[in-house]
Amino acid sequence: MRVLAWVVGFAVLAALPFFLGSYHNDVYRKLLLWITLALGYNFLFGICGQVAFSHFAFYGIGAYSVVILLFQVGLPLPAAILLGVVICVALALAVAVPATRLEGFYLALVTLALAQLFIVVLNEGGNVTGGAGGIANYRLPPIFGWRIAGPAYTVVIVALLAATLAVLWRLDHSWFGRACRAVRDNPEAAAAMGVDVARTKVIVFTLTSALAGVAGMVYAFVDNTVNPPIFGIDNAFLILFMVIVGGAGRHAGAAIGAILLFLLPFWLSPLVGHHHQLVFGALIVAVILLQPKGLIGLWDRFSK
Amino acid sequence: MGPILEVSKLTKRFGGLTAVTGLDFELRAGEILGLIGPNGAGKTTTFNIIAGAYAADEGEIRFAGESILGLPPHQIARRGILRTFQHNRPFGGMPVLENVMVGAHTRFTSGFPKLLVGGGKEEEKKQRQRAEELVEFVGLAGLRDADVGTLSFGQGRLLEIARALAGEPRVILFDEPAAGLTPAELDRLAEIIRGIAQRGIAVLLIEHDMRFLLPLASRVVVLNFGARIAEGTPQEVRAQRAVVDAYLGDAAAL
Repeated sequence: MRVLAWVVGFAVLAALPFFLGSYHNDVYRKLLLWITLALGYNFLFGICGQVAFSHFAFYGIGAYSVVILLFQVGLPLPAAILLGVVICVALALAVAVPATRLEGFYLALVTLALAQLFIVVLNEGGNVTGGAGGIANYRLPPIFGWRIAGPAYTVVIVALLAATLAVLWRLDHSWFGRACRAVRDNPEAAAAMGVDVARTKVIVFTLTSALAGVAGMVYAFVDNTVNPPIFGIDNAFLILFMVIVGGAGRHAGAAIGAILLFLLPFWLSPLVGHHHQLVFGALIVAVILLQPKGLIGLWDRFSK
Repeated sequence: MGPILEVSKLTKRFGGLTAVTGLDFELRAGEILGLIGPNGAGKTTTFNIIAGAYAADEGEIRFAGESILGLPPHQIARRGILRTFQHNRPFGGMPVLENVMVGAHTRFTSGFPKLLVGGGKEEEKKQRQRAEELVEFVGLAGLRDADVGTLSFGQGRLLEIARALAGEPRVILFDEPAAGLTPAELDRLAEIIRGIAQRGIAVLLIEHDMRFLLPLASRVVVLNFGARIAEGTPQEVRAQRAVVDAYLGDAAAL
């Protein structure tokens, strides 16, 4: 019964783009991608308690990897996707293995450095990354002779969201999800219960980074252009705020936060122009002070 | 049957201070061994070495015949040595039953591929049922869905015990379980600890409170300045001059 509800829900999400114009399709695609990113980051930050600023960078690494491997290296699509995932996993391991063995904020610091370094590499990457202008004017190669574009490509993004949620949901509702929460709540007690704390952190960081990378690969064919400003560091903070505002540790919270903070500028800009950043700041401070469990916590309170 | 846990010639130094000196003792299945001594006698240091939190400088610890010295805490738990904390350390973001299920962490066998295709449900159900039984065993049945933040100190202690039992321990280590409990809670705790030993689990109890420990323990090891000064049944130990001297000023407690 519950499975049926999910299937119907995602079928509706997949049918929706066929009724939207091209502008709304574009907004809808980006909304879906932000929800996907927020769900992954919620697993890392909200469920496992790890503060990292590299989630959006991995989104960029996935996007650039697939574009470079396809059009600069000339690999076929399946090989480019596979190698792109390998790159994300290798980078995530290189960051997480040393960082999670140290106490405190090392993961946050190392990932912040990685996110900054990524932008530098993009700008200085010459012909490989296209420098400050990035890479543009490419198209998704045909898959079995079929060019997926327009609303059909939006369906691919819905599938990405569904697959990401399925992976995270199943891991969360298992011994592994409990171990992650235990690591977040009390690492010493978690270890005393047999949880390998460092290993759990490394797995979660690598998994969520790889999921962000895959989302980036899908994003690469949304605008058919990748360039450094798209993957700026401000997005790392936006994902963090989405999860906090919606409710850290809850999938529904992350989704609500992503929807709200992504759509808010569209509603606010006509009213206050670029000052919507101020409204953002006030909202985030208000949520942290008044409702630490986020909007989903507010919902819980009223639905009881 | 041989001892399940053997501690031999255990020594731990902190700089110039020798906290534990050549300590020997054995623990058998189903017995309650009390490790007692005045403050600073080395009880907690010994406890932390067994649990994997500290490294020893010399000596050996064998569990079921195999050395466990130097293993990290999670591997010691995996082998069947579970502990409680003196200052309760619940997982604050989970209700009572989920806390207990974390204790069963090492009992799960489903790997990632199985989890990702939706498997592992039977195992999850089985462990949930066991956790419910344990919550009932320690007397928290009415609170299984409660937020751990709402528990009293004594209830938190009971949760620590249920959580440790969920790991199906062969040895359970109690770090001053009586500390901070009311007389009624102490009676309940003693009953639970006896019940645990009756299940064939070896109990190592680090305790300070003689009135709680002596009626409960089958054997007692007395430490002072890091060394064993006496060992025997509670009656034997109580009669020894060295023990009375070590507790001088607290002699009434004996």
